[in-house]
Amino acid sequence: MSAALAVAVGGLFAVGTFLLLQRDLVRVVFGIAVVSQATFVYLIAMGGIEEGTGDLVPVLDTHGGAVPEIADPVVQALVLTAIVISFGTTALALVLSYRAYEENESMDVTEWSR
Amino acid sequence: MSLLVIAPLLVAVTTAVCTLALGRRPRLQRAASVGGAVGYVASVSVAVWALVLGPAAPGAAVYQVGDWPAPFGITLVLDGLSAFMLTMAAGVGIASILFSVRYVSRENQRVYYHPLFHMLLVGVTGAFLTGDLFNLFVWFEVMLIASYVFVAFYGTDHATAASFRYLVMNVFGSALMLVAVGGLYAATGTLNMADMARRLATPDAYGIDPAPVVGLSALLLAVFALKAGLVPFQFWVPGAYTAAPAPITAMFAGVTKKVGIYAIVRCYFTVFATASVPVDLPGLTAASPLGFLAPVLGAMGVASIAVGGFGAVGRDRLESVFAYSSVGQVGFIAVPVAIAAAADPAGAFRGVAIAAALVFALHHALAKGLLFLAAAAVEDATKTGRLRHLGGLAGHSPVLSGAVFVGLLSLIGLPPLTGFFGKFLAFDAAVRGIASNPGPSSALALVALLVGAVLTILYATRVWTSGFWGRETAAVEVASADSGQVAVLVALAAAVVLVGVGFDPVYRFAETAATAALDSEAYVDVVGLNGGDRA
Amino acid sequence: MTTTIMRTTARVTVPVVLVVAISLFLQGHNLPGGGFIGGVLTAAAFVLIYVAYDLDYLESGVLGREVEHGTSVFEQRTVTAYRRILLAGLVVVLASGFGGMLIGDPFLTQGYVHLEGVPIYREVELASALLFDLGVYLVVVGSVLTIVSVVSAE
Repeated sequence: MSAALAVAVGGLFAVGTFLLLQRDLVRVVFGIAVVSQATFVYLIAMGGIEEGTGDLVPVLDTHGGAVPEIADPVVQALVLTAIVISFGTTALALVLSYRAYEENESMDVTEWSR
Repeated sequence: MSLLVIAPLLVAVTTAVCTLALGRRPRLQRAASVGGAVGYVASVSVAVWALVLGPAAPGAAVYQVGDWPAPFGITLVLDGLSAFMLTMAAGVGIASILFSVRYVSRENQRVYYHPLFHMLLVGVTGAFLTGDLFNLFVWFEVMLIASYVFVAFYGTDHATAASFRYLVMNVFGSALMLVAVGGLYAATGTLNMADMARRLATPDAYGIDPAPVVGLSALLLAVFALKAGLVPFQFWVPGAYTAAPAPITAMFAGVTKKVGIYAIVRCYFTVFATASVPVDLPGLTAASPLGFLAPVLGAMGVASIAVGGFGAVGRDRLESVFAYSSVGQVGFIAVPVAIAAAADPAGAFRGVAIAAALVFALHHALAKGLLFLAAAAVEDATKTGRLRHLGGLAGHSPVLSGAVFVGLLSLIGLPPLTGFFGKFLAFDAAVRGIASNPGPSSALALVALLVGAVLTILYATRVWTSGFWGRETAAVEVASADSGQVAVLVALAAAVVLVGVGFDPVYRFAETAATAALDSEAYVDVVGLNGGDRA
Repeated sequence: MTTTIMRTTARVTVPVVLVVAISLFLQGHNLPGGGFIGGVLTAAAFVLIYVAYDLDYLESGVLGREVEHGTSVFEQRTVTAYRRILLAGLVVVLASGFGGMLIGDPFLTQGYVHLEGVPIYREVELASALLFDLGVYLVVVGSVLTIVSVVSAE
């Protein structure tokens, strides 16, 4: 399971970075979205992805007494927050890319005059 | 637990909502915005005096948002370091908003200018106050989203392109920060900075392995350096600074850049310094993550000084000169921090070096804020920001030029201005660094500072001689400076002089801040984690 | 996209989506869901209407009002309404944060009460977090719909 997650995180980061390095504006925005998704998967993986026993979930291990069988809630809260932020940023990036396209009259970043 | 800790944050966020609600009444909106900024300054002053500096002050205070006890909830901490940075933010913020009201056109102010300005302030305040690593990420984002919009504010081809580049770089930076924060959580089992410091100090007691912390902290360093605009992450600086409205550029240079520096100092010296992890890289062995920080941050600082200095010398536009200069000046802040990281942890010298960095940060906030606003006032008056079209401003508008003169002299470092003490302390730290840690790297730091100082003199002189001396050009002859704008500039220039003349209390404040930054145990105590019980 | 298939689908799905959105919002304070996700779903339902019919349909078809043309998109009545929703949401969020301070608790402190003997439901849990969630819900609905309508009008 963790191997699968590692592959997923690595793959997403690779695809995202590749897209971010494209000339086309829309692909760059896609890259932003994909890179953000990669960090979400990574964050979830950091909380431990197996059944929540004491030694897997740091916050449960050392802070409380008995360990209930749940996943680590902290990483989920983190991911939720990060999703909201990346939602806002991606929306802004989309609108901004449209404006930048209008002003610079090109979707190709290398053709921008300044 | 004191309400005063959260007061600046609440004032700023309430002002943001109020100015948004008053969008249809421009006059009232401006009044609310300025009133909110005054309230912000008042709340910061009261909080800093009552909690940190005053005779009966406890020195630091904590606020647990939502009554969740640390380390589970979000903790806000106001200690010496936060207080120093907040005071700086309040000073630059009020000058910037007063200038905005006179400078940005009424039509443009009506759009989301004022709400966004206060959201920027909210993000900065939150970043200075928070005691939680993930929360720091959230405040960074609040600050950044407002910044993206401000960079694109004028909607020209230059502005939208600069904003898009700024956004892409920072989104990647945020992704890296999340990776670092997630990794630190997995490694230490906590996100609360005080809790993390406590756990890293005695890893065996908590059953954690601090080994990954070195790598993860390096990742964080890259993110913070991006925010601070240090070489090699400086690419966004000139574009964003010249595209944003001038008062916001003053905020960027004076405050948001300092957030990056603050985060480096806070995370490394308060939190990671407690870990004893052997760093063993080719040519680099040390006992804690600070051993890694010293050479890397030092190299970044030296490179920034060079890139910023040489970049500024060749620019033609006033704003560009100051934008590059600001890259260089951040290097002047980074080098003392790096020297502090290399210093002996037990000695008093480390605190002196941090205090030097803080004083330089204060000097840069005041002087560069003044100069960016002055550049805007000049451009507003003469309709050009190009040095080759300027000339003879000193005779034409002496008050405006006088303010610029004070700013430039402070940048050069002439006593008794603030800049003199900033530079003096930075050099002092570098010389003491050579004494305590002889070697080529310490010498390189001193040489870089010297070269940087010479370059500063070079471009400051160039700005003054070609822009303000000489015969009046056509653009200058018809120029008329706005008296309100000039008043703000004069006030800032007075602040530059006064902080320099009455430097003693300022230095004691900086010392308090440096002590707070280095005293991890006190930090843990304040947050309330040393009570013995773990829940 | 205003085909018959699309319109029919929208007619059926929009009410379902809205009900799901509201239920997610109501249970969000202690079960999966919440203001953000409820708000996004609500906005999605509106976007579906925009796609299936067109941008003026909400005003002309649902509210039965004349659509003013020729003004800037920011001046249109639906867009001003969305922006007001956004603002109202912000005010609610702030107010719910300050509410706890009135009784001496720190900012953003939440609480809950169990009401018993309520008809039909018998027992209802009222959480103050719901008020905060309401604010978030309004902010999300307002901001997403403002973005969508302004961008699609371009």
